[in-house]
Amino acid sequence: MMNRITNLPTLKIDPSKAVSLKYHDIPYQGCAGDTVATALYAGGVRIFGRSLKYHRPRGLYSLDGECSNTCMEIDAIPNERSENLPARDGMVVREQNVKGSAEHDKLSFIDKLDWAMPAGFYYHTMHKPAALWPLAMKQIRKAAGLGRLSPDFRQTGRFDEIFPSTEVCVIGGGPSGMQAALSAAEQGLRVILLEARPWLGGFYDYRTVQDDHAVPLYERGRKLAEKVSAHPGIRVLTHTSLVGTYNNGLVTAFRRGSSEDSFAERYIEIRAKSVVVATGCIERPLLFENNERPGVMQAGCAHRLLNTFGILPGKTAVFAVGHDLGLEAALDLHDQGVNIACIADLRTEGQNPDLLKALESRDITYQPGQTALEAHGKKLLTGVVLGSMDGSSQKTLPCDLLVASAGLTPVSGPLTINKGSVAYDAHTGSFLPDKLPENTRVAGRILGLGDPEAIEASGHLAGLQAAQDCGLDSAADLQKAEQALAELPGPEKGTDFVIGPVSGRKSFICFDEDTTIKNIKQAINKGFDVPELIKRFTSAGTGPGQGGIPDHNLPLFTALYQGSAQESVRPTNRRPPLTPIFLSTYAGRNHDMAKRTPMHDRQKQDGGIFRRLGVWRRARYFSEDLSCRQEVENVRSNVGIFDGSTLGKFRIHGPDCLKALDRVFVSDMHKVKQGRIKYTAMCNEDGCVIDDGVITKMGENDYFFTTSTGRAGATVEWIRYHTRYEGRDFHMVNLTDAFGVINLSGPNARKVIEKVVDQDISNEALPFSGVKGFSIGQNVEVFVMRLGFVGELSYEIHVPSSYMESVWDLLLEAGQEFGIMNFGVEAQNVLRMEKGHIILGQESEQRTNLLDVHLGFLWHRDKPEAKTVGSLALKQAEQDPDRLKLVGLKMQEAKVPGDGCVIVDESRIRGYVCTIRKSFSVDGIVGLALVEGPLAKPGSVVSIYEDECKGNLLKADVVPLPFYDPEGARMKA
Amino acid sequence: MALTLTCPICGERNGYEFKYGGEDKGPRPEESGLSPEAWCDYVHMNNCVAGVQKEWWYHRDGCGVWFTTERDTTSNLEIHNAEVS
Repeated sequence: MMNRITNLPTLKIDPSKAVSLKYHDIPYQGCAGDTVATALYAGGVRIFGRSLKYHRPRGLYSLDGECSNTCMEIDAIPNERSENLPARDGMVVREQNVKGSAEHDKLSFIDKLDWAMPAGFYYHTMHKPAALWPLAMKQIRKAAGLGRLSPDFRQTGRFDEIFPSTEVCVIGGGPSGMQAALSAAEQGLRVILLEARPWLGGFYDYRTVQDDHAVPLYERGRKLAEKVSAHPGIRVLTHTSLVGTYNNGLVTAFRRGSSEDSFAERYIEIRAKSVVVATGCIERPLLFENNERPGVMQAGCAHRLLNTFGILPGKTAVFAVGHDLGLEAALDLHDQGVNIACIADLRTEGQNPDLLKALESRDITYQPGQTALEAHGKKLLTGVVLGSMDGSSQKTLPCDLLVASAGLTPVSGPLTINKGSVAYDAHTGSFLPDKLPENTRVAGRILGLGDPEAIEASGHLAGLQAAQDCGLDSAADLQKAEQALAELPGPEKGTDFVIGPVSGRKSFICFDEDTTIKNIKQAINKGFDVPELIKRFTSAGTGPGQGGIPDHNLPLFTALYQGSAQESVRPTNRRPPLTPIFLSTYAGRNHDMAKRTPMHDRQKQDGGIFRRLGVWRRARYFSEDLSCRQEVENVRSNVGIFDGSTLGKFRIHGPDCLKALDRVFVSDMHKVKQGRIKYTAMCNEDGCVIDDGVITKMGENDYFFTTSTGRAGATVEWIRYHTRYEGRDFHMVNLTDAFGVINLSGPNARKVIEKVVDQDISNEALPFSGVKGFSIGQNVEVFVMRLGFVGELSYEIHVPSSYMESVWDLLLEAGQEFGIMNFGVEAQNVLRMEKGHIILGQESEQRTNLLDVHLGFLWHRDKPEAKTVGSLALKQAEQDPDRLKLVGLKMQEAKVPGDGCVIVDESRIRGYVCTIRKSFSVDGIVGLALVEGPLAKPGSVVSIYEDECKGNLLKADVVPLPFYDPEGARMKA
Repeated sequence: MALTLTCPICGERNGYEFKYGGEDKGPRPEESGLSPEAWCDYVHMNNCVAGVQKEWWYHRDGCGVWFTTERDTTSNLEIHNAEVS
């Protein structure tokens, strides 16, 4: 590759494997290992987008996703961090927030209007007059903001989640994190190691300086990484970004999948006994005028561009740094041919003398006690003004690269997010961990350490401390490790420099939100005195970078401007997600998991149209005619077969089972007999009806009952809850999936079933409300209940699930001569509605009680010793005349309103329609509704409001129930 | 969810597996002579302790047992051998 240095031992790219992306329809060649931004940078791109407010050109700055400078739209996904995202063949890249292009943005004039937009500009200009707001907002939205998501965009790929548990979770795969993982794993503990970059090594990985044994640090890092990777107790998750840390050892993260992975992004929820935070440092941005001009970048960014990606970041460089890492970067850049015009170092003492000697031997101009005051250049950097801290001895140097960095700042988000705290440390000039969350340990540069031996020793110590958190006794080892660390160099001296003598008008403290030093001053002048408030007023640190850039400078500048001690302020708190994550990752796989009855496939073959109902998929229709006329009429005149397998089915037995049943069912359970079924209901504490079903006695202290489909999952929980204090001795078995249910309904039902059962099934042998066991086909034991939900002669046949299909086939064959036909859930709905039978949830809502739906006759009000759930509330509700009552409706006109339409009078809502259909069994459009007491008398007329009624309310008469076969002669036949 | 709970049958498990069953208010009162207000208080009123409280949990995605445990409502952590406030 032409534009790469390919002979560096630190490279993480493979120059032999090309990767091609498109930006502005122009192909850019990167190579395997590149991020999108480095591939573009190698191709000459310097401006990656425009800033949020002022449309200033922005370029590569941190290479670690600390600001939105290089957020781009990649493959139609906006706000992707191009500097973190590995480049893939065929990616299509676009810049964001531009009118025109990143190079030529027609809105760049806004940069000159900054005087009109002081801090809090939206708050105090945009509220009067109110009518102007929507208009202004529209214009502002157009001009400001990040990427745009097309409404047509559909995200593809698999998003999944894993929930690993472990003893120790180490956050950060740098030297201290790797050493902590190794030391914990060597104690026999399971360790999960998280690293945001695609490889381990941290800040060793790109450094060529040698340790005391003349081993370059990158090599030292690789050796550690090899040991970590080879250890069976350590699970390494690279390219994994932290979302948050929480109490009780919970760590959440996500991993972006590579092209080899089975997922696009994976959510990881780790539960650990101990957490080691070894997140190291990022660089503290240097504040000066135009400090974000493309061409200005942090030392680590320039250093890694060269050593990791083989890219020369510029031709002529000026350095304005405050840390030895900046000097190291200058040496490497110089040795690869970059002309270093000058190094201004904030420090006058504390530099590594070896580095100074190396600079001297290369004849690089080194100016201690100096810094950058202003960057020049209209779009790209063309020069820089250097000067002393007091602004004296200024000089301007032409350059196309300014490496600017005030020093280091620990990444403490994983601590403060979990109620840990940091405090200002004068020696290092940064905020170091103060109060740690429970079972959380820290290691490495987050402690201010800089010496490689000390960093690794702190990792070793943290690993042992984590082992102690896990209950291992390692007191002797701990003491040794503590002593070893104490003998090594401690935290490095840092600088307390905040900002030089500049106006601050274009000194950006937060790049994402275009917040300047001037804005911070304005906020403080308005009385916002602490960083948390200043952050909210100026929005500094609220952008996609999550405070990476302003985190350290904001509190320091606040203290400086207020003239207070730096110890008195601290950075703002972080909140999850620490790294932006796709909502699709939170959403996960989104399986459409549904249960199928044993008859699912057969009904599908028969033309069943399935709908999701609760946890089930059920056959709702058997033809395109959604009124189900044929299905309904066939049940009324011949016989229909219905799959009722979703019904909840339970066995309850044991010495106290009657007491438990009496607690939850409103009826007197002592009256439940063998051979008979009893229809009954359950209420909640408020007397509101939650379930209905039938119950029968199977033997001494042994009962079988059914529940509605929707309640099947909650029934065991409900009964155990309401008997939890008494320690009742009973057991429940949920047989819902063990038995299928065939409902055979219609005047011909008996003729069909008597052909297949082994005993007499006449009306005398099995009358209405009877239950009896039969054998079908000689060997299938079933029990049959005589019910009448649809208002016809009806048999509910409970069949072991595995025999369902066979029994179904036998019945179909037997029923052929009698016109047997499938009917689905909708036909059943019409049939039972005509009969005035309710479905809970359809003819009831949260507030509907047993009495409202005329089921009061089920309630045995005189069993106080049973303490029946809902009984007391029902006694109260009896006194209330204003409750909604269930009524029958008959429409006056030939229009069917939708279920759920409200019933209104001139001023308010008086009730609503529950189920209403064109009836084929009785004349007209009939339905069930809940209306207020005074309207519930037969003969009253109600008005129904429908969306499409255009002011013409639909009229209906309140009529007696049921509509069909009021005497019940047909179902008892 | 950071919460873990200790099921008396299954041991310490992820909070996702459990369903909350309310504060521990003691057994249902006797019905005879109970005023509607007293009943309503029993059913609907809660102490809402900021601190450790005894409460019911159901091991829904597990063994199906209802049990009581102590939890610190300010940190959402189960407390073992706690003094209930």
